[in-house]
Parts: sequence; structure tokens; C-alpha cells
Amino acid sequence: MPELVLAAEADTNPFLPAIYDITWSAVVFLVVMVFFVRFAIPRFRQILDDRAEAIEGNIAKADDAQRKAEAALEQYTTQLAEARAEAGRIRDAARVDGQAIVNELKEQAVIAAARVTATAKAQIEAERQAAVISLRSEVGTLAIDLASGVIGESLTDDEKASGIVDRFLADLEASEKVVR
Amino acid sequence: MESTILAEITGNIATVGYGLAAIGPGIGIGIVAGKTVEAMARQPELAGRLQVTMFLGIAFTELLAFIGVAVFFIFV
Amino acid sequence: MYNAANLLVPMATGDEFQAPGISEFLGLPALFFEGTPFEINRIILVRLLAVAVMLFLFWLALRKPSRVPGRGQSIAELALGFVQVQIADQILGKEMGRRYLPLLAGMFFGILAMNVTGVIPALNISGTALIGMPLLLGLVAYVVFIYAGIKQFGTAKFFKNSLFPAGVPWPIYILLAPIEFINIFIVRPISLALRLLLNMMVGHLLLVLCFGATSFFIFTAGGLLGLFGIGTLAFGFIFTFVEFAVFILQAYIFTLLTAVYVQQAVAEEH
Repeated sequence: MPELVLAAEADTNPFLPAIYDITWSAVVFLVVMVFFVRFAIPRFRQILDDRAEAIEGNIAKADDAQRKAEAALEQYTTQLAEARAEAGRIRDAARVDGQAIVNELKEQAVIAAARVTATAKAQIEAERQAAVISLRSEVGTLAIDLASGVIGESLTDDEKASGIVDRFLADLEASEKVVR
Repeated sequence: MESTILAEITGNIATVGYGLAAIGPGIGIGIVAGKTVEAMARQPELAGRLQVTMFLGIAFTELLAFIGVAVFFIFV
Repeated sequence: MYNAANLLVPMATGDEFQAPGISEFLGLPALFFEGTPFEINRIILVRLLAVAVMLFLFWLALRKPSRVPGRGQSIAELALGFVQVQIADQILGKEMGRRYLPLLAGMFFGILAMNVTGVIPALNISGTALIGMPLLLGLVAYVVFIYAGIKQFGTAKFFKNSLFPAGVPWPIYILLAPIEFINIFIVRPISLALRLLLNMMVGHLLLVLCFGATSFFIFTAGGLLGLFGIGTLAFGFIFTFVEFAVFILQAYIFTLLTAVYVQQAVAEEH
């Protein structure tokens, strides 16, 4: 037992570090610190940052795709609406044009008809006038001749003659009316 | 002059010292842990912070017990 | 002539039970470089091995970082994330936490690796069970929190903040300043070192006691006493798990306290 006591006595205080203990503690600590400062933590942060970036990048990409799709859809919709409106407009225009053409043609027909009618009327009127005039002069002359003959008296006096003729004609017309 | 030894204890009184030194921290750690459980039951959303504080409290309380152990090594 | 050795080794002769003592840690035979400052004994060797394995595993896990992590990388990220979230960011806040994360992570994983060897078969002793390592780490924490405080406030203001906390009537300072001085500048580093060291030492002693007693009861004593061996073996298993928890907890508490000290040093008021 004494030798054991003596052997232990040299190092009996566990709170006083031996020199080699401090040396190796310092070496170990330095190695660990260098490893963590230079390698582990930067790598760890790099991984986290990279992952965050990737996630953000993917989200941005998805957003972009979404936005593009929406834009395309909108464009398509707009174009469709435009095309529909265009078609409607063209149809309307065609209808209007058609109507206009029909109307124009109708008008032209009416005008043409009116013109024909008017021409015919004017011609008839002109012929009637001509007939009346020629009839009047011929009937007058004839009647005067006839009357001269009947009364044996020359009705040269124009004043008298025309008065007679007129009276005669009036009578004639009146009688014509009665007959009719 | 002959003394009569009625009872004899061999060993070191430091052992008893450590036993005494362990009483206080024992009670203290019990109180710390118990109160933390109580607080966590009241506010479970603070459990994380309470746990950290509990470990700190235990660390400080426990130190007394370890000073008891250290004394045992130093003063024998 | 009483000392630790003959208390803890009460009956060190022949067939009697030999309890573990301080000689588990001190006066170990040197394995390499005896007598130089680079002497290596069993504990130092364990320490070096533990750190080497830890660094190698981290290197393996983070060697080829990939966006979709494999198993090793996931575990490494989880472990580093624990230190980052639970210690650095929670205590120090985002910005300071970022600056101190390498230190805290190094401390945490260094201590953890050296602690864990205490329950690994064939190593069976913690690398931190020798005063050098805890003392050095305690000193590092000490230097770091004083550096942080001085960098934040300048020397004079930092010491004023630490020794004369605001919001106390001045006569109290006569009492308070010495207490704060002892607490902050003496007790803190020593308590950090002692807590870690003694946890590891006591844990190791308990395990050795349990398994040593088992060996004694079953192989030396034999007979009916062997039945006691079953009990001590069971306790040995239980304490192995308890110690494993303690190893993790001590690494966590050491790092956490370092972070808290830094935080208190840079806080406007405390």
C-alpha cells in the first residue's frame, strides 16, 4: 500500500494540467477550429444558400411560365374576340351593302319606270296638242268654208269669223259632252 | 491512560462532505425542472425558450454539486 | 497520510475488490514521446482519435455537397442546423449568430466527439476527462466573450457595463461590483471547465465501478455473490445510457453557456 500512495501522490491533483495535456488540447482545438471555420461551416452555408437559390429559381421559373401561359391565353382570347368582331362587322357590312344595292336597283327601276311613264305622257300630251291644234285649224277652216257657203256671204272679216268659230266650237263641245 | 475505542470509522470525512454538498443541488434541480414543467404546461408555445433556460438553471445549480466533488479531490 | 488514492483504493491487495480511483486519470503510463511536451498517454490518444474520426465523418458528409442531400449529408446538415438554430440563432440572434457559428459548432462537435468516447467499447474514457481540454475550452470561451464585449463597447464601457449594471442605487455597487467581478471574470471560465471535467470524470468512475464490481462478483468472488454481479451489470447498462445523455447534454450546455456569455457581454443592459 505505501508504494501505491507514493505513486499516486505525484499526480494527486486532477485540476492542474500537465504540459503535454495542454499541448495536445491546443493542437486538437486548433485543428477542430480550422476545420470548422475553413471547411464545415462555409460548406454548410454554401449548401443552404444553393438550395434556397434553387428553390427560389424554380419558383421564379414557374412564375414566369405561368405568366407566359396567361399572356398567351389572353392574346389568344383577344385575337378570337377580334376575329369574331371582324366577322360580325363584315357580315353587317355585307348585309348593308346588299340592302343598298337592292335599294339602288329599286330606285333605278322606279326612276326608269317614272321616266318611261313621263315620256309616254309627254308624247301623248304632245300628240293630243298637235291633234287639237290641227283639228282646231282644220275644223275652223272647214266650218267657215261651210258657213260661207251656207250663208253666201263671205266671212272675210276675221273678227267676226273667229267669233263665230269659237261659238260654234263651244257649242260643239257642249253637245259632245251631252252625248257622252 | 488507556482509551477505549467503542466504534471506529475508517475512510475520509470528505465523502460525507460530498453527500452534504449534493443535498442542495438535488433540491435545486428538482425545483428548476418542476417549475419549468409547470411553465411549459401553462404556455406550451414557449417550451423551447423555457427548456433553454431550464438547462442554464440546471447547469448553474449542478455546479455546486460538482464543486463538492472537486473539494473531495482537492482537500483530501 | 490520507489522500484520494488510498480512499478510493481501499483494499488494493490480492483477491479483494479494487475500486476505481483517481489513478484512472492521472499518472497513466506514457505511450509515445515520454517526458516531452508531446507525451501521449491513453486519454490523449483517445482524444486525438475521437477528433480525427469526427472530422473525417464531417469531411465525408460534406465532401461533395449536393442540392438533394444523401444520407450522410442530411445528418451533417441536421447536426449543424441544430447548433445554428438551437444555440447560435436562438441565443445570439441572426446576425451575431452567423459570426459566432463556426466557433460554437467547433466547440459543440469537438466536445461531443471527445465525450462520446466514454461509452465506446475499447476506448471507454472521455477525451475531456483530463483537465487540459476543458480548461482550454473554458479559456477560449472567456477570451471570446471578453473580446466580444470590448469590440462592442470599447474596453472601459464594457467593464463598466459588466461590473456596474444599470438600475441599481450607487451604494449597492460597493457590494455588487466585487461580486460581479468574481462571477464574470473568475467563476465563469472555471465553472465551464470544472463542469465538463467533473461530469466526465464522475461518469467514467461510475461506469468503472459498476463493471469492475460485476467482474469482481462474478469472476473473483464467485458463488452466491455472483448474483450481485447481475445487479451491478444492469446498473452498468443503465448508467451507460445515462452517460450517453450526459455527454450530449454537457456538449450542449458548454456551447450554450458560451453563447449566453457572449450575448450578455454585448447586450446593452444586463
